[in-house]
Amino acid sequence: MALVEGIRNLRKNKPKIRKKMSKREKKEARWGLLFLSPWMIGFLAFYLLPMIASFVFSLYDFNPAVPDEATFIGFANWRRALFEDQEVKKSFIRTIHFTAISLPITLGFALFVALLMNSKRVIGKNLYRTLFYMPTMIPVVAVVLIWSGVLNEQTGWINIFIENLTGIQATGTEGIRWLANPQLVYYAYTMFGLWGIGNAMIIFLAGLQGVPTELYEAAEIDGANWLTKLTKITLPLITPVIFYQLVLGLIYSLQYFLAPFVLNSGTGFPEGKTRFYMVYFYKQSFTFFNMGYGATLAWLMFIVALIVTIILFGTARYWVYYEAEDLQ
Amino acid sequence: MSQPHIGGRMKKLWILITIVVIASFALYACDTQAPETPEEEPVAEETTSEEMEEEETEEMEEEEEEEAEVEEPSEKVQIRWFVGLGAGSDEPTFEPQNAFVERFNASQDEIELVIEIVDNDVAYDTLATQIAAGNAPDIVGPVGIRGRDSFKGAWMDLTPLIEANDYDLSDFDPNMVQFYQVQEEGQLGIPFAIFPSFVIYNKDLFDEAGAPYPPTEYGEPYVDQNGEEKPWNIETLTELAKFLTVDANGNDATMDEFDTENIVQFGWMNQWTDPRGIGTFFGAGSLVDENGDAQVPEHWQEAWKWTYDGWWEDWFIPNGVYGGADFLQGPGGPFSSGNMAMVHLHLWYVAPWALGDVPFDWGLAATPAYEGTVTSKMHADTFGILKGSDHPEEAFQVLTYMLSEEHANELLTIYGGMPARLSLQGDYFDQYEETNFPDKDINWDVVVDSMAYADKPNHESWMPSFQETTDRYNEFWNKLANTPDLDVDEEIEILIQDLQIIFEAAEEIE
Repeated sequence: MALVEGIRNLRKNKPKIRKKMSKREKKEARWGLLFLSPWMIGFLAFYLLPMIASFVFSLYDFNPAVPDEATFIGFANWRRALFEDQEVKKSFIRTIHFTAISLPITLGFALFVALLMNSKRVIGKNLYRTLFYMPTMIPVVAVVLIWSGVLNEQTGWINIFIENLTGIQATGTEGIRWLANPQLVYYAYTMFGLWGIGNAMIIFLAGLQGVPTELYEAAEIDGANWLTKLTKITLPLITPVIFYQLVLGLIYSLQYFLAPFVLNSGTGFPEGKTRFYMVYFYKQSFTFFNMGYGATLAWLMFIVALIVTIILFGTARYWVYYEAEDLQ
Repeated sequence: MSQPHIGGRMKKLWILITIVVIASFALYACDTQAPETPEEEPVAEETTSEEMEEEETEEMEEEEEEEAEVEEPSEKVQIRWFVGLGAGSDEPTFEPQNAFVERFNASQDEIELVIEIVDNDVAYDTLATQIAAGNAPDIVGPVGIRGRDSFKGAWMDLTPLIEANDYDLSDFDPNMVQFYQVQEEGQLGIPFAIFPSFVIYNKDLFDEAGAPYPPTEYGEPYVDQNGEEKPWNIETLTELAKFLTVDANGNDATMDEFDTENIVQFGWMNQWTDPRGIGTFFGAGSLVDENGDAQVPEHWQEAWKWTYDGWWEDWFIPNGVYGGADFLQGPGGPFSSGNMAMVHLHLWYVAPWALGDVPFDWGLAATPAYEGTVTSKMHADTFGILKGSDHPEEAFQVLTYMLSEEHANELLTIYGGMPARLSLQGDYFDQYEETNFPDKDINWDVVVDSMAYADKPNHESWMPSFQETTDRYNEFWNKLANTPDLDVDEEIEILIQDLQIIFEAAEEIE
């Protein structure tokens, strides 16, 4: 309501007579538009039009193999996705379940590493930063394949290491089956993600280095220990960075696709646990060729991601600290 | 002072942009003309002959003929041939396929055949996109039943073309012709290559264990190491496979001290097939009953339970855990690793890519019987014409060229299939063996005899929501392969219920 009121006020206060543009201003505007036009054309051709097209598809029963048989079915695809197709709900719950496990672990680990990299006591920080960042340069597909080897139940070195260290049988049919056990598979997939924390670590590190040192000095004079400094100074001051990472991480998790697709072609193995929402969307669209229904699923995910992002932004005012707001 | 300066700069910028645009057009124009240059050479010759027109009228006539030849390519009907849904997307096949196209193009002057080879991983998506975009190729193939049914509704009924061209189908087994007749869709293909299935065994592992080889003739019994004759059936196969399954200590799966955690050699596998293929090992059947409802035939259920026991109780078949083990990896999967005693596979496997460099001797044997009946599942490939083809007549001409007595062998050699044409089957295996396995003496009679036991209905036949159904039963199968102590009957019941939901949804859409 406040937004609507604001728009009304703006309209009221808008000057009725538009100032006539000078020749130079017109020329500048023309040039401005000219330079903007590649982006505008790109946006129209590659974003807006496909989005509109996909919405139109969602109203059709459309199989690309037999395009002539496409039929307008109104909102039947939407009804099916929202009320009839149980797999939509299940795949969404799986995605949320995986996000709830992987996101805190990934962000927590990235922050932990960033804190270490920011510590005065760590020797050879530049080397460690490079080492932690390096895996992000490896293509995700390669990372997934490497990790599937590392976690192989027969020959993976993690199982061999566990077996040699603890004496527990970790290899073989009775061993730890990271990628085949429904209870373990999300943790295994989270491990893949930990290899790619380099970007998150760098952003956290930038945030940490932006915390004014005088605050720590003052806290030390007051006798604060490292935990107090962390919880009372560091974390509150980097909440904008945490917020940014959280939004990106959440959207990334909702779109989680590559690992399950590379590892098992999207079969959902084990027991359907890895048939995440985007895997199901892919299957419907490009394996089953239900392109109309696939478009509906894509739009549903867009709406969900939008709502989640809006809610996150809504909560930001309660826990995200912006120095600029303080100054006002 | 600055205003004219900016104006001057703007002017220069406009000039620069204009030059770049003109240059781009010029380059584009040059680029589009470039490939035509060789074809224009005769025209240049024509100009020369025109200068001599008065003196050499005969030469001018020749020139006119030449000119006509030059113009021909633009009048040719272009037929696009899409390869990728089945065989033909492996790199070694590119050159011979291209050579085949060149030979075709050189053979006549009305059609220009253009081949598009797409990697199998992306071929389905690529073809679907092309069809949806109204840019469908004319001919697709070689394609099996699975590939064909993935594009249900997209294939052209060839019956009118067969009739209009009086195409002779008498050189094909009528059953194979019928194989490509689909209810409400018509004749979607003409037989090209067939791939019967049979047992392939590792002779070295049999010798090492002191076990006699499996029978090579249907109806022949198996004579075990004690000289005892046994019918060549599932029970005998199971016994033999257990005997050939060995752990790291050298114990076989029939012994009490056999270590199931350290198996190093397996006795049996229905390699590279799905639950429908494994079900068919016990007899032909379908997941769709006569009313269109979901079912799992009794003998398929038995086949699945036999496999499940082979994975988790008798241990003679590699389960999901052992499936990824290093000792079972070879260029042709588990069998070519040298640690698998027997597999059931199709003719396409008896090829250099799978068995060419294996460091062991191997042989072919008969498919065992289940309850007195032998079923050797069949794979068959063909070429289809898509409904979206703009030139079906010309596409049919190309198709008949490909399948003709004179040229089918060229393609069969590339793809490794047995000719569907009866007239070509005679010395096919001699040629094939000479080309691909010159140092081996292969008993090809098993292959020919296996044809008589082909599965009807075929294990790859159409089901409602083909891909979705396939996806669901593969999920079921993965669960069985990776989970011990399951109640298989219960899992089958759940599968039937899920398939019924998929079938009903498909019916609603239709």
